[in-house]
Amino acid sequence: MPASTFSDPITLELYRHRFAGVAEEMGLTLQRTAYSPNIKERLDFSCAVFDAAGRLIAQAAHIPVHLGAMPASVAAALRHVTDWAPGDLVVLNDPYEGGTHLPDITMISPVFEAGGDAPVFFVASRAHHADVGGMTPGSLPLSTELFQEGIVIPPVRLARAGTLDADLLRFLLANVRTPEERRGDLAAQQAAHAVGERRLAALMAVHGADEVRAYAGHLCAYSERRMRATIADWPDGSYACEDGLELDEAEATIRVVAHIEGETIRFDFAGTSPAVPASLNAVLSITESACYYVVRCLASDDIPVNAGCFAPVVVTAPAGCLVHARRPAAVAGGNVETSQRIVDVVLGALAQALPERVPAASQGTMNNLTIGGAWPDGTPFAYYETIAGGMGAGPEADGLSGVHVHMTNTRNTPVEALEQSYPFRITRYHLRPGSGGAGRHRGGDGVVREYELLVPATVTMLSERRRQAPRGLAGGADGARGRNVLLRADGIEEVLPGTFSRRLQAGDRLRIETPGGGGWGTPLSPQRPSQ
Amino acid sequence: MQLLGIDVGGTFTDFVWLVDGSIRVHKVPTTPDDQSKAMRQGMAELGVAAEVPVVHGTTTATNALLERRGARTALLTTAGFEDVLAIGRQDRPHLYRLSQTRPPALVPAAWRFGVRERVAADGTVLTPLDEAQVADLAGRLAADGVQSIAVVLLFSFRHPAHEQRVAALLQERLPEVSCSLSSDILPEYREYERTATTVINAYVQPLVARYLQRLQRVLGDRPIRVMQSNGGAIGLEQAARQAARLVLSGPAGGVVGAFERARQALGGEAPRVLTLDMGGTSTDVALCPGSIPQTAEGRIAGLPLRLPSTDIHTVGAGGGSMARVDAGGVLRVGPESAGADPGPVCYGRGGTVPTVTDANLVLGRLDAGRFLGGSGTMRLDEGAARAALARLGERLHLSAEEAALGVLRVAHATMERALRRVSVKQGHDPRDYTLVPFGGAGPLHACDVAAALGIRRILVPPTPGVLSALGLLLADLVFDASHAVLRPMAALMEHPAPLAQTAERLGEQVRAVLRRDGALDPALSAALDLRYAGQSYELTVPLALPISADHLRAAAAAFHDAHARCYGHADPSAPVEAVTLRVQGRAPGARPPVTPEPPAATDAAVAHLGRKDVWFDADGPTPTDGYDRARLRHGHRLAGPAIVFQYDTTVVILPGWQARVDAWGNLILTAPDG
Repeated sequence: MPASTFSDPITLELYRHRFAGVAEEMGLTLQRTAYSPNIKERLDFSCAVFDAAGRLIAQAAHIPVHLGAMPASVAAALRHVTDWAPGDLVVLNDPYEGGTHLPDITMISPVFEAGGDAPVFFVASRAHHADVGGMTPGSLPLSTELFQEGIVIPPVRLARAGTLDADLLRFLLANVRTPEERRGDLAAQQAAHAVGERRLAALMAVHGADEVRAYAGHLCAYSERRMRATIADWPDGSYACEDGLELDEAEATIRVVAHIEGETIRFDFAGTSPAVPASLNAVLSITESACYYVVRCLASDDIPVNAGCFAPVVVTAPAGCLVHARRPAAVAGGNVETSQRIVDVVLGALAQALPERVPAASQGTMNNLTIGGAWPDGTPFAYYETIAGGMGAGPEADGLSGVHVHMTNTRNTPVEALEQSYPFRITRYHLRPGSGGAGRHRGGDGVVREYELLVPATVTMLSERRRQAPRGLAGGADGARGRNVLLRADGIEEVLPGTFSRRLQAGDRLRIETPGGGGWGTPLSPQRPSQ
Repeated sequence: MQLLGIDVGGTFTDFVWLVDGSIRVHKVPTTPDDQSKAMRQGMAELGVAAEVPVVHGTTTATNALLERRGARTALLTTAGFEDVLAIGRQDRPHLYRLSQTRPPALVPAAWRFGVRERVAADGTVLTPLDEAQVADLAGRLAADGVQSIAVVLLFSFRHPAHEQRVAALLQERLPEVSCSLSSDILPEYREYERTATTVINAYVQPLVARYLQRLQRVLGDRPIRVMQSNGGAIGLEQAARQAARLVLSGPAGGVVGAFERARQALGGEAPRVLTLDMGGTSTDVALCPGSIPQTAEGRIAGLPLRLPSTDIHTVGAGGGSMARVDAGGVLRVGPESAGADPGPVCYGRGGTVPTVTDANLVLGRLDAGRFLGGSGTMRLDEGAARAALARLGERLHLSAEEAALGVLRVAHATMERALRRVSVKQGHDPRDYTLVPFGGAGPLHACDVAAALGIRRILVPPTPGVLSALGLLLADLVFDASHAVLRPMAALMEHPAPLAQTAERLGEQVRAVLRRDGALDPALSAALDLRYAGQSYELTVPLALPISADHLRAAAAAFHDAHARCYGHADPSAPVEAVTLRVQGRAPGARPPVTPEPPAATDAAVAHLGRKDVWFDADGPTPTDGYDRARLRHGHRLAGPAIVFQYDTTVVILPGWQARVDAWGNLILTAPDG
């Protein structure tokens, strides 16, 4: 840092607003100009500002799983591009080169000072695209290798010095099911970048690049200082926990040891099972995201999220294991399901260190459901949604019922919207009473959502916590396991596994009962009725 | 013509009386237990005659929700969907909190009942209504002492008969219980938002109706209108019927007042205005791109409220926002506020944490002796404020004044971010806008905020502290109705007759309501919410009446244009779907005195109060001229640095800025060249 740009505690607060404002305005622009509901309504995107070295300066994140993954994208872009020019735009989704799973497409562009010859900042955006090709619509298939999941984009320049590479764009769009929507969403990401670049350039024009760059550093140092002070208050020691995913093909145990050592915390995933022949593998940046998410939840929520915030947090995992997958392991479900289990084990470990802070396990799944088929006139349809469940109870309060937990927070589709657009009906949608674990504080209840098919369709389910219940804590009972039940048109009832893909008939009903959250503490008095 | 606007705020009840072509202003402390007490007192002090009509802004409905003091409310839903209200959109309120709670539900689980019936998406009945079950339920509801019932059945906007039959069955058995039907309150799709809006109505309606009845008794037999969230007024009787329409009305009056003032002063085109309403605890900002922005995405007390409301963004920075040094050694301001009690340190009511108001006082931007017109109602303790800021400064190695400057810089950064947010959200550049500051504290900070945003013109209305009450007078009489359409535009263009009939029916409803309030010939307008087929969000575009294929075609064209303007892209070849039809009736409200004041023969020297030291930067104080707003006249010019003191606020004019008084008494501030 230049010595002349000393960190003034008032100016620093102004820069906190300024950098956060840039990320926020990028996000508003992306949301406003996006095509697909997944970005516009469910807010499945993030925008961020990075410095020249690729350190995160500010992030507007709606999705916790992007926390650790955005910096990996910028790092990958910096590895592959060294001759940046104004107007360059790098795009990528390769999980093994800065991505997480293929539907998340990330863009990175440099910001120059007027007349400068090297980037001072980078801005980045990541959005979940509704389809990037692969085996099934929606690109979240029950795959066994990456190549089945869609088009793989390594870090490449989509635009050079402001000129879009039309050939590359044509090539990308030829590999997806809904090219016009993709073109629109990519353009929306570009629009967000234009806003971010303009705002950062304006800040440098007014205050000088030296000051803006220096305060980016000061802001990271500030977050790091506060995060170190936070961790220093946690009791030193090593705390282990393990839990697993529900696979028949292979063992899938996730093991972590959290080492709290003074001002730092190290999460070591040694002992975790090797990558599995299914889509549940997670790349290391997802594992980092899950660890960062937990640390962020345990720290004061006014610490700005940036590189400094997570500098005292180290995540290691053996290469090739379930939580540090190597090419070409399939990863579509790692982002949505494995990330939740990583949070469970990390919280389970830290519960031993911070019993007065850490809650019991939440539903631990996103209950991913895809229904695909054709209308009577032959027009194909594909529908994807995730279903809420119970939140774990904690030392302070009951868990919330019927919410998405931890690594996601996307919204549901209204019944009245869905039934107008798809040939199925929702026959019940309510809380699942008694599914939250008992305790001094009750776990939140899961939900029951029942679908009646009006035409034959293929139903694909990717869900967890059907065999192993979300754990209670400190004497609280486990939450109820989830259940996937088929109520056939002929009256026969059949319990289906957590993960399946199956052709169903018109009149068949599928009832998804999502897991409850674990209870916390030994009950003091006779059980209260659930909410 | 006379008209009295009465705006009830958290601390003061403001009166603006339009009489004999001029405006009189008054303030009395609010009486929270019964807002009508302060109203009676203020009217007596002003000497308003018994027949003068009143337009009223009330927070009764808002407070009932925020404080959970509404009716004992039950909810009847389609069986199997009893928990739609509890699940909401399945997202949790806070992304990064391991322990979180929701505000208590307006309807507890024990009072949510499923009714056996089901209607399909096309409006056909799949399961007929189980009337016997509803009759049984009535007994249960009576036994539990339920006072109000919300009825929300799936697809009732397609087939309202089931809801209507449920209401009839209940009303036979429970004649004293109020019933809110979703097909009346919000006949639009999306069951959670419709449920929440209907439940909000059921929850606040009995309380609001009682309050408004009492008000009519207290104010006597005169016409009374009430401000709605949409920025229009409505008669008391209708307000009592659909109380949910009042819930977000609080900040609407100020935006109406600011917009109308700017329209009058700037003339010609519809003005592009950014409003900055800064009070004690928060600041409301709104972007008016030539009209008052409306949204159906309002929220209150953790619930969505899908009725039309003025689109306002609120941030936690106000005069009472508290300054502190955080755990990392950085100066933070707000969102915690000292409120009115204890209030800022300088109020001398026991506050010890320095606030934005204290910083203004220490920097010479407020005048202890002149606050509230020097009426002596409130003395400011400058010494205590200075001591508090000196303590804050010590932790930052700064003097009291430097710390105070820092507090203002941080507060301004918060406001700047809010204004950028509302601008970017709608794709506008704040530099193209005129800033209209109001509220007690807005004009203190407007220059700094404008400078940060590159805004070149500021319009400070004559009575910024009571602009909300003025907005009540200026507000049009407005009522709107809507109906779910959910049909392809192509089909509607082919057979426009059914939609035209629906519009006729809605128009008649609207006219009937407005007729009761004395508007015999309201202007009717229609609008359609349109989207590209497959999208899940809509844009509202005007639809000319009467509805015809041509007018529908024009609406579709307007939609493509609006889509390109708002979102940066459009596809005129893609099929368009009509989601909701909206019909609005409007009769003009009062207009402020239109006779411009002739230019004065004097200059600003007649208003000069003297000089005082004011801090604008850390180099030291600048001798600054003070002026009395009451004596400034049309044509007077001031050069910054200057401070204008007035009864209800203080205007800071930064060095380099110029100010002049226009023919309507507005102070127009212009940025330095360059």
